[in-house]
Amino acid sequence: MVEGLRFMKLSEEMVRVVIEKVKKELGDLVKSVEEGKGYISIKVPLNRLREAAVKLKNMGFDHVKSLTVTDYKKKGVFEVMYMASSYLDEELSRIIVSLTVEIDRNNPRMPSLSDIWTSVEFQEREVYEFFGIHFEGHPDLRPLLLVPDIADLKPLTKDFIVKEEPIFKS
Amino acid sequence: MAIEGVKAKEQGKVYVGNLDETAKRAKQLLIGRLKLGKAVDWATSFSLWPVHLTTSCCGCEFAAAWSPRFDGEQFGALPWVGPRQTNLIIIEGTVTRKMACAVKVTWDQMPAPKFAIAMGACALDGGIFYNSYNIVRPWEIIPIDVYIPGCPPRPESVARAIVDLQRSIRSKGIASKWVEEGVRPDKPLVAPKQDVCSWWRG
Repeated sequence: MVEGLRFMKLSEEMVRVVIEKVKKELGDLVKSVEEGKGYISIKVPLNRLREAAVKLKNMGFDHVKSLTVTDYKKKGVFEVMYMASSYLDEELSRIIVSLTVEIDRNNPRMPSLSDIWTSVEFQEREVYEFFGIHFEGHPDLRPLLLVPDIADLKPLTKDFIVKEEPIFKS
Repeated sequence: MAIEGVKAKEQGKVYVGNLDETAKRAKQLLIGRLKLGKAVDWATSFSLWPVHLTTSCCGCEFAAAWSPRFDGEQFGALPWVGPRQTNLIIIEGTVTRKMACAVKVTWDQMPAPKFAIAMGACALDGGIFYNSYNIVRPWEIIPIDVYIPGCPPRPESVARAIVDLQRSIRSKGIASKWVEEGVRPDKPLVAPKQDVCSWWRG
């Protein structure tokens, strides 16, 4: 038990070192930072997203774990998060770095990162079918799981209203 | 329990049965009394081959129904590989829009006296996905003979459904009267209102 606790403390220190390293590397690209446990979310401007991604890739973040979109309907933006981590570098594999950009909800277009990280190719296709975000420069932008006529409805945006049966009515 | 025609000192041993007596009875049953049509129904009802088409999570219960514990083969049905050699579809659970095409293509490939069982709440009327944008009710695409409710149904109820189907095949004479490919004697075959394979043909 004591051994385990010591290990936890040590690894937390290690995580802090890595986070400082990432912040230093990205430098003036960083708009704002949010931190969690072993997780850091870095908001970057949309026109410098590719630059930041190349920098992270060169540091050793070799794959993207997931690609998430949040729909803020009142603000009028989609928040797109690329969660990158590492398989090969043991030090970097302790944390997950999330590159976050905000894009216009009415004209959802952004550059594709599939030539930098190959693992986002299918994830970008999935985001395309569920949210209708066009990734410019993507090699094969087709719906992945859904039938094309359902993909046109963009079923995971807030505009798509799911029919529900009233179960409890007062 | 004394078996008929067995000497007292031989009791307690395991016997297959009185083969001569059974053969005589089978001869009376098949040749002496029955019409050929009834024999066809009888034979079809005990050679049901469900195709391996697992649409959803009820497939686990479907697999368990043929495991040693529940032993579905004792009812005269065994899952088999290709649609060309099978005559029964058991739809296990939810059918998504893309899987609906696979179900329809498989159904079209099967030879004529063919039957379908819908298994699970999702196959009946959507289940927990009742308001989903991406599902299809299986009775809109193919004609269903027996429905099994439950989420998921137990393997015993799969066996019950198969026995039910066998009874209805024998009592209604579905297999013997089904001479033309597209004309079923007891009820019309369903023509799907929507084209489920449109995404595939492009």
